[in-house]
Amino acid sequence: MTGLKILLRIPWHLLLFAGVLVMVGSLALYSASQGSWHPWAGRHAVRATIGMALVVGIAFVDFSFIKRMSYVFLAAAILLLLAVMIIGAGQGVSRWISLGGVNLQPSELTKIAVILALARYFGSQSHDRMRSFIWYLPSFAIIGIPFALIMKQPDLGTALMLLFGGLAVVFSAGLPWRYVFGSIAAVLAAVPLLWMQLHAYQKTRVMTFLNPESDLLGAGYQITQSKIALGSGGIFGKGFLMGSQSQLNYLPEKQTDFVFTMIGEEFGFAGNVFILLIYLLLTISILRISYRVKSRFAQLTCVGIGMMVFFYMFVNVAMVTGLLPVVGAPLPLISYGGTSMLTVFIGFGIVASAIVHDRRERAV
Amino acid sequence: MSRKKTKDLRRTMSRRGLLLSGGAVALTSILGARLFQLQVAENHRYRRLSDRNQFDLRIVAPTRGRLFDRKMRLLAGNAESFQLYITPLYVDDLQQTLAALGQIVDLTEMQIDEVFAAARKGPSFHDIIVRDDLSQRELARLAVRSPLLSGVSFGKSLRRIYPQGSLACHVTGYVSPVTAREIERNPALEKTPHLGTGKNGIEFVHERNLRGVPGRERIEVNAKGQPIRVLRDVGAMSGKDLQLSIDVGLQLHSAEILRRGQLKPVEMGSVEVQTALAKDSDLKAHIALGDSLILRDQKDRLVPPESGAVVVMDIHSGEIISLVSAPMFDPNLFTGRLLTRDWRRLNAHPRKPLLNRVTAGQYAPGSAFKMVVGLAALETGVISSTTEFTCSGDMRLGNSTFHCWRDGGHGVMNIISALEQSCDVFFYEIALKTGIRKIKNMAYRLGLGEVSGLGLPGEKQGIIPSHEWKLSKLGKVWTPGETVVSSIGQGYVLATPLQLAVMTARIANGMFAVTPTLVKSSDDTPPAFAPLNVDPGALAIIRKGMVKVMKGGLGTARKYDLEASFGGMAGKTGTVQVKRITKAQREEGIVSNIDRPWAERDHALFVGYAPVKRPSYAISVVVEHGGSGSSTAAPVARDILKKLMQEQV
Repeated sequence: MTGLKILLRIPWHLLLFAGVLVMVGSLALYSASQGSWHPWAGRHAVRATIGMALVVGIAFVDFSFIKRMSYVFLAAAILLLLAVMIIGAGQGVSRWISLGGVNLQPSELTKIAVILALARYFGSQSHDRMRSFIWYLPSFAIIGIPFALIMKQPDLGTALMLLFGGLAVVFSAGLPWRYVFGSIAAVLAAVPLLWMQLHAYQKTRVMTFLNPESDLLGAGYQITQSKIALGSGGIFGKGFLMGSQSQLNYLPEKQTDFVFTMIGEEFGFAGNVFILLIYLLLTISILRISYRVKSRFAQLTCVGIGMMVFFYMFVNVAMVTGLLPVVGAPLPLISYGGTSMLTVFIGFGIVASAIVHDRRERAV
Repeated sequence: MSRKKTKDLRRTMSRRGLLLSGGAVALTSILGARLFQLQVAENHRYRRLSDRNQFDLRIVAPTRGRLFDRKMRLLAGNAESFQLYITPLYVDDLQQTLAALGQIVDLTEMQIDEVFAAARKGPSFHDIIVRDDLSQRELARLAVRSPLLSGVSFGKSLRRIYPQGSLACHVTGYVSPVTAREIERNPALEKTPHLGTGKNGIEFVHERNLRGVPGRERIEVNAKGQPIRVLRDVGAMSGKDLQLSIDVGLQLHSAEILRRGQLKPVEMGSVEVQTALAKDSDLKAHIALGDSLILRDQKDRLVPPESGAVVVMDIHSGEIISLVSAPMFDPNLFTGRLLTRDWRRLNAHPRKPLLNRVTAGQYAPGSAFKMVVGLAALETGVISSTTEFTCSGDMRLGNSTFHCWRDGGHGVMNIISALEQSCDVFFYEIALKTGIRKIKNMAYRLGLGEVSGLGLPGEKQGIIPSHEWKLSKLGKVWTPGETVVSSIGQGYVLATPLQLAVMTARIANGMFAVTPTLVKSSDDTPPAFAPLNVDPGALAIIRKGMVKVMKGGLGTARKYDLEASFGGMAGKTGTVQVKRITKAQREEGIVSNIDRPWAERDHALFVGYAPVKRPSYAISVVVEHGGSGSSTAAPVARDILKKLMQEQV
C-alpha cells in the first residue's frame, strides 16, 4: 500500500474533532493561567500537535503487528504498573514513572493494552465458546489484574474507566444477557468488598458524594465550588477570562480535572453542551468505524477505544457536576496532562491503523 | 456452519454496538440534563453564591498588643466577646428574622433600626452586627435557635478590656470604634470596622505597634450563608505588647490618697447620703459615673472626692511610676458601643473626668515656682546663700503694694529660710534684681514652658512669661510689677503638674535634664539625658531650702515630713489664689477657704522628692481648690511617697 493511499484512508474527521477539543482546551488553559500561554496552554497545543502526528504515524503501522503484540503490550503495562508501585512505594500516591525525562502514567496506557488484549482474546474465540461463561473468565482476568493494580495506586478514576471500557468490549463481544445481568448482580454484591479496599480519602469522597451534608468542611468542598462555578455560568457564561470562581482560585485543579467546570463558568451551558456533542460525535464516529472494519479484532478494538473516549468524558463530567464522586479523572484533549492525551491519540492511531490495514480474516 | 455462526456473531456485535451508541447518547443526555439543571434552572442561586464567594474575604482582626505595668500586671488586655451577625443576602424577611431574634436576645428598638439602616446602605452580602457582647445565656439560646433562622450567625471577636477599671484611664487612654474621620485619613481602617483604634493615652500614641496587622480568610458558605469552610488563611499578626513604667499598686494608693485627702468617707447607703444626692447635682454627677466615694468635710458637709493630679517620677530614668488625674473615668465604657447616656454624663460632669490634669491641666505653680527664681538669682550671682532681706509683710513698688502671705512679715530672711517659710517678699526682692529674662531662662532649663516629651496627646506647654511673650501676646510692655507677681508663680505663669514634677526631678537629679516617659525601659541602664547645665552649688542651696520646708522649725510642711526611716523628703508647698483678693476684702479680713464656694478656693500644690540623701523619686501634687498647699497637698505627697518607700523596702 502506498503512503498516499494510507493517508487517504486515515479517518481525518477524528482528528478534526480532536483538533476542536484541543483548541477549546488551549483556550481554557490560557484562561486558567489568567490569560497566559505559560505554563499550560502553549505546551498543551504543542503536545496535541505531536499527538496528531503520532496518529498518522501509527496509521502506517501494520494492524496485524498491533494484533500480534497485544498480549505483549498488556504484559508490559502490568510490569510498568508493578514498577510504579515499587518505585513509588512509601510516597502515598504513586502513579507516575519517569522514562527518559518523560513522566508517564502507566495506568493510562494500560487502558489501551487491556482493550487490545480483550479484542485479541475475543477475536480468536469461536461462536460456540462465546455462549459459555467459562470462556469469559480469562477476559475478567485481563481486566481484573490491571484494575486491582491501579486501585492500589490509588487511582479510582482510571480504574473505573478501565473497568467500564473493558466491560464494553466484553459486552459487545456478545456476553449473553443472562451473564450481563448476572455480572451486574455480582458487582453489586462485591461493593462491600471493594469498599474495604478503598483508601480513607476515597471513602470520604464517596461518602461525601452520597451525603454532601456529612462533610461540607472537607471533601465536599471541591464539588461545591465546582457546582457554584458551573451554575453561575448560566447559559452563555461569564465570558472568556471572566470566570470569577476560576480566576480567583476558588476552583481547585482548574487546569486538570476541573477544566470542564472552568469552561462552563466562562462559556456557560452552551459551551459545555458543545463539548459534550463533540465527544459524542467522536464516540459515535469510532463506533461507526467498528462497522466498517472487517476483522473481529479490529471491530472490538474500535468499540473499546470509542467507549474509552466516551467514558473518559462521562466520568469527568459526571464528577464535576456532582453526579459521581470526585475520583480524579481528566478530560482528555482539554485537561492539561500529557498521558491522557497520549492515550487518546494512540487510541485514534490504532483505529486509523485498523481502518487502513484491516483485512477480512479467515473464519475460525 | 462457521460462516453462519460468524455472521451470527457479527449481528450480535452490531446490535451490541448500536446499544452502546444508544447508551452513550443516553448518558450524554443525562449529563446535558444535569448541566441544564445547574446552569439554567438553578443559575440564579449559584450566581448568588459565586458573588458571595468573590466578596467573602473576611478580615481576621489581629489581637491588639496588651499593656502591662512595670511589674507585668495587666493594664489593658483582650477578652473574648461574642457578636451576633445578620447577612441580608440570606435572610428571607429581615423584619421577621429580627423579631424572632428579639425573642432570643435583648434587642432595643434603636439596634433594630440600625440594622435596617445598615441593610439598606450596604451590599447584601455584608455582615451586619446586630448585637455585641452576647451573654452566656443568650449564646446558649442562640445555639439552639439560630440554625432555624437563615442568614443569622454569631462569631467570636476580641474586645479591649481594662481590668483595673478607671485606675490608669489617663495613662492607657482607651480604644473605641473607628470613626468616620479616621477612615477618611486612613482608608485601610475601613476594612476592619469591628476593630477599634486607640483614641487617647498610650493606646493612641502606640497605636501602630499595638494594633498588629489584620489577616485574611475566605469563607466558604452554604446556600443559607452559614460558613462551612475557611478556604485560605493569611494569619493575623498580633500587636506588640508594651510594658509601661506605671506601678498599678502605687497608682491605686495615689488615687485613693489624692481623692480622699484629709477627709473621711461616709457610708454610701445612708439616708443622709440619699437626701444629699437628691439636692446636690454635683454629688449626683459623681455617683452617676460609677464613683462610690463621698466625703464629709470639716464643716460636716457631704462633698465629692477631691479632684487634682499626682505624678510620681523616677529622677534618674524619667519613668513615670504613677500618674493620677482625678476625677477618673472607666475606659471600659468606650470599648463597646458607648452609650449616649454615658457620653453625656462624661461631658456634663462639672469636673471634666476626660481631662488629663497631669499633662493638660495648667495651674499657676505658686510658691513652687520659688525654686526657679532662687536658682536664677543664685546662679547669676545676684544673691549668695547668705544674702539677706527683711520682710515686713509687704513691699512697695511705685504705687503698688505687694503683700506677703504672712501679715506680720517674716523678718530677716535668706534664701534658705525664705524657702522654708515661703516668704514672698524675699522673692519679690531677688526677682526684681535678677530680672524676668533670667528667671525665664532658668525655668526653661528646668522643663517649664515647653511640652515635656512624654508624648501623651493634648499635652499643654504652660506659660513662662517674658517681655517678648507679653509684647507678642498682649501687645503691651512688661512691667516690673509683673516680675514681682511672677516670682511667686502667679500672674501669667502656668505649668502642668507633669512639668512641675520634671522641674523637681531635675533639681533633685542635679546632673541631667531628665525627661519623662511612660514606657518601661528594657534594661536597667538609665537613658542618656542632656546635661542640666545649672550651677551645682546653687542647686545644693535650693535643695537645702526644700529640706527645711519639711524639717525646719518653721517649715511650711513641717507636720508632714516623711519618717526618717524612709529617708525623709524635701519639698515645696504652693497655695494659689484663683480669685484676686481686693483691697476691701483684705481690710475686712480674708474669708477662710473652707467658707468659700469650692470653685473660689485656692489650689493646693506640692512638689517634692525623696529620699533626701540619695534622691530617687520626684512627686508633684495638685489638689484643685484644696485650700493650702501645706495642709492639703503636702500630706498627700507624703503619704504617697511613704507607700512608695514601703514597697521599695
